[in-house]
Amino acid sequence: MSLGANSGTYLDQFPDEAKLIRATFYSSFAALFVGALMGLLQVLHRVDILRLIPSEDYYSYLTLHAVLLVLTFTIFFLVGVFTWGVTTSLDRGLEDLRYTWAWYGLMAGGSLLAGITIIGGFFDAIPLSAAVLYTFYAPLQAHPLFYVGLALFIVGSWFAGIDWFRSWWAWKRENPDERIPLPTFMALTTTLFWIISSLGVAISVVVFMIPWSLGLIDQVNALLTRTLFWFFGHAVVYFWLMPAYMLWYVMLPKISGGKLFSDPLARVVFVLFLILSTPTGIHHQYLDPGIAEGFKFIVMVNTMFLLLPSLLTAFTVVASMEHGARQRGGTGYFGWLRALPWRNPVFTGMALAGLMFAAAGFSGMINAGMNINYLVHNTWWVVGHFHLTVGTAVALTFMATTYWFLPQLTGKKIWNKSLGLAQVLLWFIGMTFMSNAMHRAGLAGIPRRTAEPQYSGFDFQPAAGSVAELNMQVVIGGTLLFISTLLFMLIVVMTVRGSKVDTLPANGYAETLSGPEDAPLVLDNLRLWAGIAIALVVLAYALPLASIIGRHGLFGPGGSPSPQFIDTVVFTGQAIFDSLVGVIR
Amino acid sequence: MRISWGGFLVVVAVMVPIVIELRTVFVHLGVEMSIAQTGLLAAVMIGALLAWAVAPDIRGRKRSNEKSE
Repeated sequence: MSLGANSGTYLDQFPDEAKLIRATFYSSFAALFVGALMGLLQVLHRVDILRLIPSEDYYSYLTLHAVLLVLTFTIFFLVGVFTWGVTTSLDRGLEDLRYTWAWYGLMAGGSLLAGITIIGGFFDAIPLSAAVLYTFYAPLQAHPLFYVGLALFIVGSWFAGIDWFRSWWAWKRENPDERIPLPTFMALTTTLFWIISSLGVAISVVVFMIPWSLGLIDQVNALLTRTLFWFFGHAVVYFWLMPAYMLWYVMLPKISGGKLFSDPLARVVFVLFLILSTPTGIHHQYLDPGIAEGFKFIVMVNTMFLLLPSLLTAFTVVASMEHGARQRGGTGYFGWLRALPWRNPVFTGMALAGLMFAAAGFSGMINAGMNINYLVHNTWWVVGHFHLTVGTAVALTFMATTYWFLPQLTGKKIWNKSLGLAQVLLWFIGMTFMSNAMHRAGLAGIPRRTAEPQYSGFDFQPAAGSVAELNMQVVIGGTLLFISTLLFMLIVVMTVRGSKVDTLPANGYAETLSGPEDAPLVLDNLRLWAGIAIALVVLAYALPLASIIGRHGLFGPGGSPSPQFIDTVVFTGQAIFDSLVGVIR
Repeated sequence: MRISWGGFLVVVAVMVPIVIELRTVFVHLGVEMSIAQTGLLAAVMIGALLAWAVAPDIRGRKRSNEKSE
């Protein structure tokens, strides 16, 4: 969509919002740099090339790498992207910038607290540590400031979502008969499932982890904290993925020179993610002993349904790219591919991210299959999988689109586009080497989450090549990824330091071949879809959670309240019910 | 040239996972390849791509991909 009389860069149209988005992006990039450095050090540690810290402290590397990259880098970037999407598509600024800066402050303060606590784990003299991994459930325990920091960060992101809802409500009052513009629709549906899903981890942190780490309670029910984490833990990957999907839907077709193939299909995809992203969390717990196989089977079926919106996306995005290519003069069954703007790092980065996501989806299907999952659980296969998904589909899309966003937010052109192209290609190649080796290592049984996967009297036997070769491949891949990160940081810094220009394209996003007027009205009924999402979550989680709590209580065996608490509630409920029946009769 | 330099680099990048995965596929077909042999295969594929890209079009067809970034 081109914005008529108001056309100009995003900075021209919304200077205050541009300042906020710049802040979120710079916070994101700072986390990316430190997180990527940790990744390189981890890889060198595991293969025993360079061990800067004792292996007992390896989990501090791992926690910092994961928390900074999958929470701080991704979520700071996406709140910026969604703010851009909402303001651009509604053509109005945010309702109250003080509120907006307040949520940014919560997120920044929270991530600093959490980060400092994790870094404290590297130094014996600092009485802070959080070597608990990104999946921070019990029995590992961090300093309370880690949990407080994360809670502030998550709450800040909720307030960001509410900010977008406020904009939409205000716009709807002035435009009661209009369909929700697609980027806003995407931000709102994502916010809905984000709030629903992060309630699980919020309860875990506020009710259990913080009191436990403060010594207010003696113990927690580890399986309960795991289940509450994974209640959030699968949906969070879609919280990262939806902004990448949004960019593939609304930016990639325009960069390709064409239009989005179908607005209605895009809405269907986001509705499917809203209703399916949370009631699938137990697929991360296939090997947990405290959850019955029947529930795991139901969740497996839900997970398989999640393939559908991604396949729809693959179709729609490629169709949009083909439309763009043919507008640029491309012909033939496959010849149109050559007409695409491959020299543009914005396009190439997103296209390669999407291509890699296809591979990630297939390895995800292996993880989703309950029985096959047993072969890969807790191995490096899983690590290979998520480096393809969040590590490429999300991260590479974010980096590539930065080359479009940064000029829009600063009024300055990208310092060196050719270097940008080299950067995205290097990331793709580095990730190919690294994640391929990780997948193959996982199939050989090499475990994840361990500093020294070298065992005396035992050698892993990969199907092809040797462990030494896999190690070399991981080091090469990890090094290329770090070089790519450095290139990215260089381009960002040099662009920001450059001078403003007048020759930038106007802010906008792709028009559609089939527009919102072709989408059934029911798709815009957010209350309906949120209601269905909540119902599915209750169906997937009520009985497993009740069974976990009923077996060992809220705080584990010997903790309080004991299972008698549950019996008391049930007994009281039954007594009330019987009384009511007696009164009615 | 039949393909832009950007396009050429992208095709080379996409060849990387193909070459790496081909090695695993060959192992399952009973063909073991060393790292050196894999590198040679990659070099041959890239060389073939380069040769195609710079070869003159003897049929004198009008190129359809003149537009590029």
